[in-house]
Amino acid sequence: MKAPILNSLVVSGKRVLLVMVAIGMAGNLFAADADGDFAAANRLYAEGKFSAAATGYEHVLETGGVSANLLFNYGNAEFKAGNLGSAIAAFRRAGLLAPRDQEIRANLDYVRNQVQGTTIRPPRWQEWLGQLSLNEWTVLTALAFWLALALFTVRQIRPALRPRLSGFTTLAILLTLGLGTGMGLQAASHFTQATAVVTTTPATARSGPFDDAQESFTAHDGTELSILSRHDDWVQVSDAQGKIGWLNVKQVQVVPGA
Amino acid sequence: MMRLIFKIWLWCLAACLWLGTAQGANFTASLDRDTMTLGETATLSLTFEGGSPQNAPAPDVPGLDISSSGNSQSFSMVNGAMSSTVTVTYSVTAQQPGQYTIPALTADVGGQSLTTQPITLTVQKPDAPSADDIHSGNEAAFMTLSLPSGKVYLGQELTAELRIYVRDDVQNFGNFQFTGQNADGFLLGKSAQGGRSQARVGDRVYTVIPVTYALTTTRAGQLTLGPFTAQAVIVLPSQNQPNVDPFFRQFFNQGDQKQITLATTTATLDSLPLPDQNKPANFGGAIGNFTLAVSVGPTNVTVGDPVTVRVQIAGHGALDSITLPDQSVLPGFKVFPPTVKTDAGNGLGLDGTKIFEEIVTPQTADIHAWPQFSFSYFNPDDGQYHTVTQPPVALTVQAAGATPMPAFAKTSAPENQPPADILPIKENPGRLRPTGTALINQPVFLLLQGLPVMALLAAWIWRRNTDNLANNPRRRRQLAVAQLVSQGLAELKQFAAGNQPDEFFATLFRLLQEQLGERLDCPASAITENVIEEHSLLRQAPASTRDGLRELFQLCNQARYAPVRGTSELNSVASQFQKVIAELKELRA
Repeated sequence: MKAPILNSLVVSGKRVLLVMVAIGMAGNLFAADADGDFAAANRLYAEGKFSAAATGYEHVLETGGVSANLLFNYGNAEFKAGNLGSAIAAFRRAGLLAPRDQEIRANLDYVRNQVQGTTIRPPRWQEWLGQLSLNEWTVLTALAFWLALALFTVRQIRPALRPRLSGFTTLAILLTLGLGTGMGLQAASHFTQATAVVTTTPATARSGPFDDAQESFTAHDGTELSILSRHDDWVQVSDAQGKIGWLNVKQVQVVPGA
Repeated sequence: MMRLIFKIWLWCLAACLWLGTAQGANFTASLDRDTMTLGETATLSLTFEGGSPQNAPAPDVPGLDISSSGNSQSFSMVNGAMSSTVTVTYSVTAQQPGQYTIPALTADVGGQSLTTQPITLTVQKPDAPSADDIHSGNEAAFMTLSLPSGKVYLGQELTAELRIYVRDDVQNFGNFQFTGQNADGFLLGKSAQGGRSQARVGDRVYTVIPVTYALTTTRAGQLTLGPFTAQAVIVLPSQNQPNVDPFFRQFFNQGDQKQITLATTTATLDSLPLPDQNKPANFGGAIGNFTLAVSVGPTNVTVGDPVTVRVQIAGHGALDSITLPDQSVLPGFKVFPPTVKTDAGNGLGLDGTKIFEEIVTPQTADIHAWPQFSFSYFNPDDGQYHTVTQPPVALTVQAAGATPMPAFAKTSAPENQPPADILPIKENPGRLRPTGTALINQPVFLLLQGLPVMALLAAWIWRRNTDNLANNPRRRRQLAVAQLVSQGLAELKQFAAGNQPDEFFATLFRLLQEQLGERLDCPASAITENVIEEHSLLRQAPASTRDGLRELFQLCNQARYAPVRGTSELNSVASQFQKVIAELKELRA
């Protein structure tokens, strides 16, 4: 009676193993494809075919995943192809993944300097918070939280250690509160303060979310605008001077706030 | 009355028209000149008198370009006879000098078939005016063409100067158009017009318009440039107002417009072949006088990083013919095709800078330098080949995986100066990961945060229980007795199996004392069979429980005196003990 059950378990195990191996191989194949596509796009860039290189990087983004380096190169290619808005959006996305990467910041600043007109800039405290990505804030907060709870747990198990652990416990609690505040602010910025980067020029903002609405103001390619609200295919934006208007989503790329 | 007069007038008009048309139709063809210079345009007029043609004939003469330029119609009344004239005009230009005949043309006019006479047109080759004509001031405008003197080599670029002279009394000079630019052995390049100046030729003052041409010799031997021919329209003062003061004439004289043909003489020179002696192996056909500058950067890179090599060749000569030596196969380097940019120093493209920019990537860490670069050219001024060489440029190539100096640090501009360009792309994509939601939005991550909370909760409950137990001795005894009974039952079974009645009943008695002592909350040593009847709790117990207890106590007492019992009986006693213990636990104080 036991033998058939054992056999069926062995067969099932083999199948599971095969599926896992297949998934692993497929993953490796995709990774190899993405690396190949990335290298091909780099070659196009080196040959001065910037639009083709941008298309290549975009293909990797769509099929192979995302990374700061990939978005960095994509931004470079878009800039060289003359698409300031797309370049800024790519650099900002790269910055979200690698917020302390000096090269990304340098290129973003360089491209921003090429944009005509004024553009919104985040306040200083937000730039300071932006030194860490939202995920980094989250992980640090979680670590501090775990540490604080671990200390509390030890205090329950070993009451004799309470006097010794009280300082560490207070520090862990303060750390959790501080990091949690940073995470909260960063999350609020990420989820509520999205930015619209103009990708066409000139983009005419209108007084209402429809094509026939009166013109409100004009923004150039690469201008960064605050998103106030959304309605169907339109976003209500505000420029650095506080002017408000509606832009079609085809005219902009929406980038999370932090 | 008025109506009668109007009818009479109409009848008269109709009669006149009939009389006019009844005179007979006529068809003639004529040219405004019978001789013209190549490049000039003659006008051919087809005149139909006495009626309109059904179809105006379109003349077709090989070697002549004849195109319609319009038509007109006029009416005239002479001695009461009315006649109409239709004139169709054509512009006639010749492709080559020669004598052309416009054949007889036939047209149907007023029902009659009429034919013109053939017309002869002589087209002359334009000739440059003689020196006497020029110096006499008879030429309202003329052109000269000159080539530089000295040795000229095959492939060399040089300039020719065309000068257009316009006499000072020419009121307007316009519609200038070249009709021929003969160049045998030359390739005509760009041209640039220079600034106008005044020059005295003979007794007249002329405005000089210089035009410089870039030429490239295409073969060795004697080469001929010219004649250049052109036509222009000039306006000369009208000769019909001789008595008008010249001061007023310049304001009011509309002048006479005239089309003229201009022609230069031919210019020749001898082109020499490039010498084979001392020709460098890497000579690529560059002729002129050049300098070379090569820059390589960044010079501190990792294997696979892009390095920009900029080759700048500047000087005087044929920039278009300069090519970069083939570097596609350079050991240790991967070389991408270069981009080329030419900055012409003048409008002719004979001076300037040609910049080749190529991206190379070192393939191994063994590379220590960008190799020496040489460029050879032939200088026609001294008739010799020259080679300029750029020494190797040191490169520091680190193996992949090493930490190179950040790219921005290598290429960034000095402080307080904006960078010249964006920083270069990265060679590796880094760790690609799927585009996902933020960690804070992932349920698994949020659930994971429940683990330390649950651990803390468990620890807190454990601590509470531990503290409660420490403060409740009866509960502690209850737990201790339960554990003792559990272990004792196992011992009882062992003793029964080993047929050890003494040890069995001693253990049984001790367990009974411990269990009853715990239930009755009194010392175990004080427990005897009498407590069954004396203690209120046991008095409330079911009779079966009390009987069972009594029997167990009696068995323990009898065992001290009775003979040894068997294993099965001992097992039965153990089971009975287990049952009584379970019933005792049910009792509530």
